[in-house]
Amino acid sequence: MKFPALRAYALFYLLFLYAPILLLPIFAFNDGTIIAFPLKDFTTKWFEQMFTTPALAQAVKNSLIIAVSSSILATTLGIFAARASTRFAFPGKAGIVGLIMLPLVLPEIIVAVSLLVVLLGLGIKLTTFTVILGHVLICTPYAIAILNTAFSSLDRSLEEAAYDLGETKWSTFRLITLPLVMPGIISSVLISFTISLDEFIIAFFLAGSEPTLPTYIFSQLRFPKQIPMIMALGTVLVLMSVILLTIAEYFRRRGIAKTGGTDTGGFL
Amino acid sequence: MTTRPPMIEFQDVHKYYGDYHALRGITATIRAGEFFSLLGPSGCGKTTLLRTIAGFEGISSGAVMIDGKHMAHVPANKRPTNMVFQSYAIFPHLSVAENVGFGLRRDPRSAAEKIRAVDEALEMVGLKGYGNRAAHALSGGQRQRVALARALILKPKVLLLDEPLSALDKKMREQMQVELIKLQRQVGITFVLVTHDQEEALVMSDRIAVMFEGEIAQLDDPETLYRRPNSRRVADFIGVMNFLPAKVTGESNGHISIEAGGLGQVDIEAAQAPGKISGGEAWVGFRPETLTILYEGQTAMDRETPGTVEEVVYYGDMTYYDVRLDGVDRPVRISMRNVFGRPVLDIGTRTRVAWSPGALVLFR
Ligand SMILES: Nc1ncnc2c1ncn2[C@@H]1O[C@H](COP(=O)(O)OP(=O)(O)O)[C@@H](O)[C@H]1O
Ligand SMILES: [Mg+2]
Repeated sequence: MKFPALRAYALFYLLFLYAPILLLPIFAFNDGTIIAFPLKDFTTKWFEQMFTTPALAQAVKNSLIIAVSSSILATTLGIFAARASTRFAFPGKAGIVGLIMLPLVLPEIIVAVSLLVVLLGLGIKLTTFTVILGHVLICTPYAIAILNTAFSSLDRSLEEAAYDLGETKWSTFRLITLPLVMPGIISSVLISFTISLDEFIIAFFLAGSEPTLPTYIFSQLRFPKQIPMIMALGTVLVLMSVILLTIAEYFRRRGIAKTGGTDTGGFL
Repeated sequence: MTTRPPMIEFQDVHKYYGDYHALRGITATIRAGEFFSLLGPSGCGKTTLLRTIAGFEGISSGAVMIDGKHMAHVPANKRPTNMVFQSYAIFPHLSVAENVGFGLRRDPRSAAEKIRAVDEALEMVGLKGYGNRAAHALSGGQRQRVALARALILKPKVLLLDEPLSALDKKMREQMQVELIKLQRQVGITFVLVTHDQEEALVMSDRIAVMFEGEIAQLDDPETLYRRPNSRRVADFIGVMNFLPAKVTGESNGHISIEAGGLGQVDIEAAQAPGKISGGEAWVGFRPETLTILYEGQTAMDRETPGTVEEVVYYGDMTYYDVRLDGVDRPVRISMRNVFGRPVLDIGTRTRVAWSPGALVLFR
């Protein structure tokens, strides 16, 4: 930070990034339906309103079901993929891994529309289940990236040592591999959960008549008097995301420290 | 030592990694109760050969037998071998006792008996009372001991050690060498050690297989290996050896006459040519300690050649001299033990050097 211009740029960047988020809690506690300064009295009634809106409760329930299922599924798939790609050499490995990681950079709208076309073509009804499928698709690359770090910082001779001492391949995985990559697994579940929870486009296209939290929020933006409650909801969501990502990063780092590897980056 | 039954037999073992020919026809026998070393430069296939014993590496052709049984269809977890890994592979999430007792999980003995076995194993490697420590908080030497105890607790027929001392500092390494020898005598198990350190192999082993590029170049006890290396390459890898060009001038019942690079005509015994040479151009080799610089008034027991000191390297207890012997076209290295009252010679000093044809080795 030697250059004043760079410092100003950094400050401006952070402001631009976080100012809108800072506005969320400000208006969530503001006693007025119009989102504008000057602020009126302090209130918690928007938070109370959240708990007495049945449609919101249903959206939260849908979102939780989707986020829990897709984070567990994506992480399970990620474990197999990461294990295979760090331990074995097989023909076409680079290509296969590349294909799996592709959704990471593909525009989500493309993924959503193509999924919609396929699902409709197959005659599958749009429900929370179809959203889970879509979310597994976009969460798996993140899960693999996290789990790859966990698996590749695991000394291979640890598994060989357990096998050498009479364990089977499976009990070696259960007794040695799994506990040592567990921090990575927890981190993967939490990050997938967070991604799924606030994902909008796929949920919008594939949810049918079942709203998720983000699509519900979007539908409520048309009603001005609902906006303060959405602000309150947003505040809760931001807080939850930050907490989950912090825990995820904690586990990722602890995993690396425990297996004696060096940190090769991560998402935070 | 000589009549022990075989424990491990390699029969023309070949191993390919894709196109790379890592093991090129290994045939050798390791005897029961032996401290056996695989010695060679990095990348020569020592670890690969060790892993074919453990069962981590399949072989492309040939056979590996352990205690008379073919190992082709026996997986690593069913073989009567245990391994001390180069990285030690201590399970970081388990305690010292849990690490050492890991192999007993499938043992039908009672919990109390297992605890006793773990305690005994820890005591054997000098870690009594360390059972409750966290494994990741141990020093290098302690991790090594835990790895040893963990591998020995199953009482394997063969203990495999892949460069177990390479991560330790010099002092610790020398101490562990002695401890490993003692331990091997105490448990009587066949030890197979992989090392690239010739001194370590000489100090510790009953027999050594010297490997180059996937082949065993020579398999002998340390003394034979040092005194009678069968090729210039082995001689060069183990210790220091002087080489002079030579010509074979005659052979007769058990004796070889050679013209040894400026030293004149000498007769040697056939056993001094372990590489089996057959006439013509050759090399003679001799170790630095088989030459002696003669002081005023001393006379040689055998042969004597005058020369000039060209280089002096002082090691405290020893001094290395490079001496150009009259009539020889290159300097030879001579090691002399330093003796009180006898000053180290200066560069340029004229001296006489004693040597003996019996100490020569003849190479192709
Ligand atoms: N899994 C493997 N795949 C391909 N090549 C290998 C593999 N393991 C070892 N090699 C190669 O085989 C040769 C011998 O390796 P290694 O047995 O580890 O040598 P050393 O232990 O004597 O240093 C080396 O050239 C190494 O690159
Ligand atoms: Mg090696």
